[in-house]
Amino acid sequence: MHCRSVVLKVLALLTLLIGVSPLHAQRADSPDAALARLLQEARASLPAACSQANADRLIKILCVKRIRIGVREYYPLFGTRTGDKREGYEIDVGQAIGRMLGVEVEFIRVNAATRIPLLAEDRIDLVIATMGHNTQRDSQVRFIRPHYYRSETVVVGSRALPIANMTDLPGRTVCVTVGNGSNAELVAQGVRLMLFDEAGVLPDRLKDQTCTLTAQDDSFFAYYFTDPDFAAAYFPKFGFAQVPWGMAVARQGSEELARALDLISQIFHRDGLFMDIAKFNRIGTAFLEQQQRVWRRPECNTDAGSANPACILPPLDAALKPTPFASVVSAAESWLDANFDIELSLPMLKTAPAWSMFKDGVLNSLILIAGALMATLALALLFGAAMGARFAPLRWLARLVTVTLQSSPIVLTLVIAAAIVHAFFDYSDVVAMAASIAALGLANGSNAGQAVSEAIWSLRAERSPAVGVDLFGRALGRSSTQIVAFLINAAKGTPIASFIGAPELLSTLTDITSFSSGRATTYTLLLIFYTVVVMVVVWLCGKLRLYLEGRQARAEVAT
Amino acid sequence: MSDLLEQLSSDFLPRFLLGMVVNFEIALLALAIGLALGLLLALGRWHGRVAGGIAASAVALMRAAPTFVVMFFLLNAIPRDASLFGMPLALSGVAAVALSLVPYSAAYISDAGLDALRHWRAGSPLGALLFLPNITRAFFVLVMSSSAGAAIGVTEGITVILREADRLPSLDERLLLFAMGIALFGIPLQLGFVLIGMVQRLLGRRAAVTDEASA
Repeated sequence: MHCRSVVLKVLALLTLLIGVSPLHAQRADSPDAALARLLQEARASLPAACSQANADRLIKILCVKRIRIGVREYYPLFGTRTGDKREGYEIDVGQAIGRMLGVEVEFIRVNAATRIPLLAEDRIDLVIATMGHNTQRDSQVRFIRPHYYRSETVVVGSRALPIANMTDLPGRTVCVTVGNGSNAELVAQGVRLMLFDEAGVLPDRLKDQTCTLTAQDDSFFAYYFTDPDFAAAYFPKFGFAQVPWGMAVARQGSEELARALDLISQIFHRDGLFMDIAKFNRIGTAFLEQQQRVWRRPECNTDAGSANPACILPPLDAALKPTPFASVVSAAESWLDANFDIELSLPMLKTAPAWSMFKDGVLNSLILIAGALMATLALALLFGAAMGARFAPLRWLARLVTVTLQSSPIVLTLVIAAAIVHAFFDYSDVVAMAASIAALGLANGSNAGQAVSEAIWSLRAERSPAVGVDLFGRALGRSSTQIVAFLINAAKGTPIASFIGAPELLSTLTDITSFSSGRATTYTLLLIFYTVVVMVVVWLCGKLRLYLEGRQARAEVAT
Repeated sequence: MSDLLEQLSSDFLPRFLLGMVVNFEIALLALAIGLALGLLLALGRWHGRVAGGIAASAVALMRAAPTFVVMFFLLNAIPRDASLFGMPLALSGVAAVALSLVPYSAAYISDAGLDALRHWRAGSPLGALLFLPNITRAFFVLVMSSSAGAAIGVTEGITVILREADRLPSLDERLLLFAMGIALFGIPLQLGFVLIGMVQRLLGRRAAVTDEASA
């Protein structure tokens, strides 16, 4: 505790030294000189400007000698609160800004949902709360440039797992939180996602082995990696989807405050204060080291540096291209809500990537169902013929395979099929679909084939005069109920193919809901889709059964 | 094989057996709810008319609902903070898998129950008793189907095998482990089917004795 106090005092001294540093203030176009001028002019307008209703927030802050900063209260290493004591990188940055402006700091609790509304309602002056800077938020708040930190999504897993980069992930399951912007990138790489509502559960799911890999902000995992046991067992495999974090002020009435903060942020980068605070709080400094090099460059270390595209980072482009009919869909959702109090959300129809994935998912599901039905029927004939054969070794072999397949839960059969297929081919959607069709066909076809063979043997026991193809045809008629039951079972089982990465509709909609809203509607529609498709299969199979039974009846009449 | 045994975690077998207990728990829960619902539906179909139509439609819908999709529906469509009569509705993984199997078990039990009622009315109590081996068959199908829980992180038998397989370096070793898994699942399953066969043969013999006595 004493150590932290000493370090904080040193940081405070550093901030003050930066504030009065003659070295950088010498040049008229330096950020230090520009900040000094800005604050001098603002202070010169006091106290008269304090009574002006439309005064800039910088004036208001200097008038009351206090800045209200919105911070997180439970984001380990960045912003935490224990009783009255606040700690973390963002808390220390806020204190340093207060010292630069020469005002007291009042911290106010915000979270991801309230940080922007509180700025708009003038209940806070500045937000420093783990907020990623993206193009969508650019229209809601004024971000301070340069950015004070940058996070990335890290994939974390057991040290023993051989994962080095994104190319090692296709076909594997990664645990993520719903709504994380980086989910779309994982989905695009063919990664299967397991969704969770809260990031806080992810480390526990790693420990209890529910998840072998998780993906989440590095800033989130930074705290857990300070635990020696966690760090010994798990390792950040690689990072992707970098997002710059920005302090932000309200878009209206904060022009001078934003300008002052831009200049302060430039100075903090250039002089390494952000980096010192980060080291003190034990968070990663790679981005801050790189930024220090940038802001020490002559073309960036000027009063216009924060507007120079060569110096600042662009916001993350998080906007997804809407579909041509997105507005109609939104209007329909609003109409249903307003007139019938039905909260319908159809994310798969509103953005171009989601719409494209949805169409592919429906098509792949239909292909998978058709493939599974054909494979089941073909293998039923094959197993039926083999187990009904008089040649004993062939019969025993088919029987052994059937018993093995019956003893294997379908999930395991799918995984085995996928493992064997992947040993010969690189991972792809087609390979996953083919493995799924083979597994579903084998599991259901062997059972249906057993029913066919039992019908063959029963016909022989009844001393039926039919032999060869004729006997086989009659056996199909006699076992038609069982064949149809396993065909329906194959169609019903197709969604489980998502477990090995087959891009059918369940898999696709899980991916879509991982980066959009509307989970309840999406999964309800999914259930309706599959139930209707299976009912169609049941109807078609009923026709097949009638045909087979009619064929058998005609054959028996003929004999 | 001995190489594989050396590479497996020392606690693999106890973890797998605990996982299989979860499979049996899920199957028992699904069967219990399925029995209650399925028998009600069977009675509805038995009485016919409006109740029969409604029950038959419900059974047709339940037959068509894929278990895996129902499981994801239950997990995602019910809000985390939902409650019924003050009781929280948020489902655990085990409960979600068990409930997703209820449409299958209820539809199956409804069919088997209806058959039993028909046999009973036709004066064949032994035919009606075939309901018991049918329920046992449904139970073993439910045990195998409960492995769907692996997709949502439920620590059942297959999940334990897949986690262990992740640690093995070669395909050969993984395939050997999968074969072990099939054997471990297959033994109780095949024993169950043998038991069902014995019960059916016993009932058949008793039926034959009864027929001879009445003749």
